[in-house]
Amino acid sequence: MKTDRKGFKLLFLFMMTMLVMSACGRGPAGSAGSGGAKDSTLVITMLGDADYLNPVIGSSVTSSNISGLIYPGLLQSEFDSTTGLLNFMALKKTFRPPTGSRKPDGALAKTWTMASDHKSITYILRSDAFWDDGKPIVSGDFKFTYRLYGNPLIASPRQQYLAELVGADKGVVDFDRAIETPNDTTLVFRFYKPVPEHLALFHTSLTPLPAHLWKVVKPEDFRSSPHNQKPVGAGPYKLKTWAQQQELVLASNRQSNLPKPGNIPFINWRIVPDYTVRLAQLQTNAADIVENIKPEDFSSLLKANPGIEIRSVGLRVYDYVGWSNIDQTIYHKSGKILPHPLFGSPDIRRALTLAIDRESIIDGYLKQYGTLCNTDISPSLKWAYNASISSYAFDQSAAAAIFRKEGWLPGPDGILQKNGRKFSFVLYTNAGNARRNYASVIIQQNLKAIGIDCRLDVQESNVFFENLQNRKLDAWMAGWSIGLEIDPLDVWGSDLKKSTFNFTGYRNPRIDELCELAKERLVQTDARPYWLEYQEIIHRDQPVTFLYWIRETQGFSKRIHDEEVNISGTFYNIDDWTLRPSATIAP
Amino acid sequence: MLIYILKRLLLSIPLIFGVLTLTFFIIRLAPGDPAAFFIQPGISPNVAEQIRAQYGLNDSLPVQYFKWLSNVLQGDFGRSFSRAQQPVFDVIAGALPITMTIAALTLVANFTFGIIIGIISAVRQNSFIDRFLTVTALFFYSMPEFWFALMMIIVFALKLQWFPASGLNEIGAESFGPLGFMLDRMWHLVLPVTVLSINGAAGIARYVRGSMLEVIRQDYIRTARAKGLPENIVIFHHALRNALLPVITLMGSSLPFIFSGALFIEVIFAFPGMGRVTVEAIFARDYPLIIANTFISGTLIVLGNLLADVLYAVADPRIRL
Repeated sequence: MKTDRKGFKLLFLFMMTMLVMSACGRGPAGSAGSGGAKDSTLVITMLGDADYLNPVIGSSVTSSNISGLIYPGLLQSEFDSTTGLLNFMALKKTFRPPTGSRKPDGALAKTWTMASDHKSITYILRSDAFWDDGKPIVSGDFKFTYRLYGNPLIASPRQQYLAELVGADKGVVDFDRAIETPNDTTLVFRFYKPVPEHLALFHTSLTPLPAHLWKVVKPEDFRSSPHNQKPVGAGPYKLKTWAQQQELVLASNRQSNLPKPGNIPFINWRIVPDYTVRLAQLQTNAADIVENIKPEDFSSLLKANPGIEIRSVGLRVYDYVGWSNIDQTIYHKSGKILPHPLFGSPDIRRALTLAIDRESIIDGYLKQYGTLCNTDISPSLKWAYNASISSYAFDQSAAAAIFRKEGWLPGPDGILQKNGRKFSFVLYTNAGNARRNYASVIIQQNLKAIGIDCRLDVQESNVFFENLQNRKLDAWMAGWSIGLEIDPLDVWGSDLKKSTFNFTGYRNPRIDELCELAKERLVQTDARPYWLEYQEIIHRDQPVTFLYWIRETQGFSKRIHDEEVNISGTFYNIDDWTLRPSATIAP
Repeated sequence: MLIYILKRLLLSIPLIFGVLTLTFFIIRLAPGDPAAFFIQPGISPNVAEQIRAQYGLNDSLPVQYFKWLSNVLQGDFGRSFSRAQQPVFDVIAGALPITMTIAALTLVANFTFGIIIGIISAVRQNSFIDRFLTVTALFFYSMPEFWFALMMIIVFALKLQWFPASGLNEIGAESFGPLGFMLDRMWHLVLPVTVLSINGAAGIARYVRGSMLEVIRQDYIRTARAKGLPENIVIFHHALRNALLPVITLMGSSLPFIFSGALFIEVIFAFPGMGRVTVEAIFARDYPLIIANTFISGTLIVLGNLLADVLYAVADPRIRL
C-alpha cells in the first residue's frame, strides 16, 4: 500500500500546484494589460544579452545600446536624413546647422577648436558634470580611458579610433604627447597627420570611464572586473538589475544632468531568443518593441493587434552574390593572381547580374522594405550617392548574348560550356537566414534558364565565414552592414593581404586611388566627385552582384510617443520617449 | 555495496578525463574561431589577434592541453570566452537552478502521470480506455516538442491569453511579495512543464504498461489473487513494485536531463537554462564553457547509471552488488 499512497499524495500535490498556478494566473495577467508596473516600464525584447556594460570592451549591439544610456558622451551626434551626413554637437557649438529635434544638452564638451593645420583638436569641457558617485567628470577621465582603448592587453574593438593619434603611424600611440589635459576642463588630442574635422570629432568622442574607479584595475583583469557588471555612469539611465541571459532593467537616473533623467521610469530589456515568441509578446502587449520583424508577418501582426505599428529605419544592410574574381586555387598555391575561370571577366559578372531577377526577390519577400542595390554606397547617404546610375534590369536574352560573345555555348545537356569546362558551380550561404534561402532558390532558377548549373549549399555560420575569410568559396551569398562613414577599402582594396574582407579578390587600382583621395579631403563633402566615380566603376565591374538594400523593420507599440527612428539606430532618442498612458516621473 | 560504489566511482575518474580530453581536441579541430566575431570591417585586425593571445590560443595544441590539464587538476576550468569572462562554473551556477526547477517539476509529472496511465492501460488491457490512452499517448509522444510548444503558445498565450508566452516572471513581479512572486513564477512554468511532461509521460506510460502486463501474468500474482487478496493490493503491492524495475533505469538515465536542460523549451520560452548555455557555447566556440558542460553532463551520466544500479538492488533483493 505504501507505493500506492505515496503516488497519490504526489499526484494530489501536483494537481493542487497546477490548480493554484492556474488560479493565480489571472492576477498578473490583468496587471500586464493595464496599470501597475507595466505603465512605467518600456519592454524591449532582444535576441541576445549584453556582454560588458563597458564602452571600452562591449561588443554586442545590446551592449552599445545600453552603454549609450548609462555613460555620458563628449559630443552628441545627429544624423541628417536630408544629406546623410553626421552632425556633431557640443553645448555651445555644432559642426553643421542642426536639422532635427536633437539637443546638445547631454554633451560633456562646451565647445571645441580645430587647429588650422588640422593636426590637433582642443575641447573645453563643462564643469557641472558628475559621475553617479558624485565625483566630477574631468579631462583626465578621457585620457585615462583612451589609454585603455589603446591597450593591446584589453583588446578593445574600438582601437581603430586611435589610428590618427600621435605615434599610431609608428605602431604605438604616444599617449603623453597625443592627449594632453592642461586642466580638468581642457582636453587636447594631437594627430600625426592632418585629419578632416568630421573624422577628428568622430574619432575623439569615444565614451569615457570614471578613472578614479578603474585605475586600480589591472589591464589583465579588466575584462573580468566586477565593475563591468555594475557600471557607474552619468547618463539618463542607470542599471537597476541584471539577470544575465534573462532581463536587464534600467531605471531613470534622477540625478543626471546629461542631459536629464530619462522620461520613462524603467526600461526592461528582455532576452527572448525565439523569433515567433518575440512576435507573440508584441502581439499580446507583453513587449513594446521587437526588432527586425520579417515582412511576411506584418499583415497578421497588425490585424491581431491594432496597437502596433511597423517602423523602418534607413538602408544600411545589403545582400549580394559574391563571385570569386580570381582563381583561388592558383592564388593559394603560388600567390599568382589569375582571373577565375568562370567569374574572372567583368562582362560575365555583368551578365550574371542581368540574368538574376532581383526585382522578383524583392516583390516576393521584402516588398516595400527592399530596394534594388547598385553599389555599396547606400541611397541613405545622399551626399555621396550616385543617383544617375541606372540599375541593370532583368534581361536574360542580353545575358545570354554576353555569354555567347565570351565563348560560352550550350553543350549537349543544355549547360553552357567553353573549352570543355561547364559553367557549373556551388552557391554557398550560411544557415538560418530565410531571406537568403528564398533569394538563392530564385537565383538558381534564373541561372538555370540561361544554361548555368548552380547548386545550393548551406553551411553552418562559423564554417561559412571561415571559408569566406580564407577565400575558399567560388560563389556565395552574404550581406554587409555598412557604417555611416564611407570606407570601402577593406572590401575592395587591391592589396589582398591587407584587405582581408576582399573575399572576391577584386582589384582595380583606380578604386584604391579614389578611396585614398576621398579620405584626404579635409571637407567631407568635397569627396563627393570621387565617390560618384567610385560607384560608376564598381557598377561597371560588378565585383559581386549587388542584390537589394534592406529596410530594417521594427515593431513598435503605439503607446510609445516622441520617438525618432533613423539610420543611426532604433533607440536614437530613447531618453526622450514617453509612454501613454504612463506614469512618467516628475521633472 | 559500499565497496562496489567506491569501485565504480574510482573507475569513472579516468573515464571522465578521457571524455574531457577528447572534447578538448575535437572542439579545437572543428572549424571556427572564438575570436571570429572581432574579424569585421571597422575593427582593427589586431583585435582578433589580441583576443586570441588573451585566450591562450596562440600556443601549440599540446602546450594548450597541458596548461589546461594543470588548471583543471587544480579545479580551475577557466573563464568563459563568450560570456564576459565569467568563471565557467558561475555561468553554469546561474543557469542550473532554472533548469533544475523545470526538470524536477517535469520529472515528477512525467513519472506520476506515466505510471498511472501505464497501470490503467495494463489493468484494463484491450478495453476502450486502454486503446484511448494508448492512442493519445502515442499521439503526444510522436509530436515534436518545439512544435507542440509553439502550438501551446498560440492557443494558451495568444488566443486565450491564460498563460504568458515566455519569461520566468512578469514585469515588476518583485512588488508582488514573496508568495505572489512564487505564484507568478509557477504561472510562467505551466506551459513549459506541461509540454515537457506530456511528451515524457506518454513514453513512460508505454514502458509501465508493457512491464506491468508481463508481471500480471506471473504465477505469484495468480497466487496472490487465489489467496483472496483485494485486487488493488494485488496490483499496487505485488505487481507494481516488480513492474517498476525498468522504470528505475529510466529514472537513473533522467538524471543528466535534470542538469542538461531542454534546449527547445528554453529557447522558445526564453529561459536562460543549461540547454541554451551549452548550445550557445558551441556556436560561439567558447571552449572552456563547452568543456565544463561536458564535465557536468559526463559526470551526471556516470552517476545516473550508478544510481540506477544501486536502486535496482534496493528495489529487488535478488540483485546483489
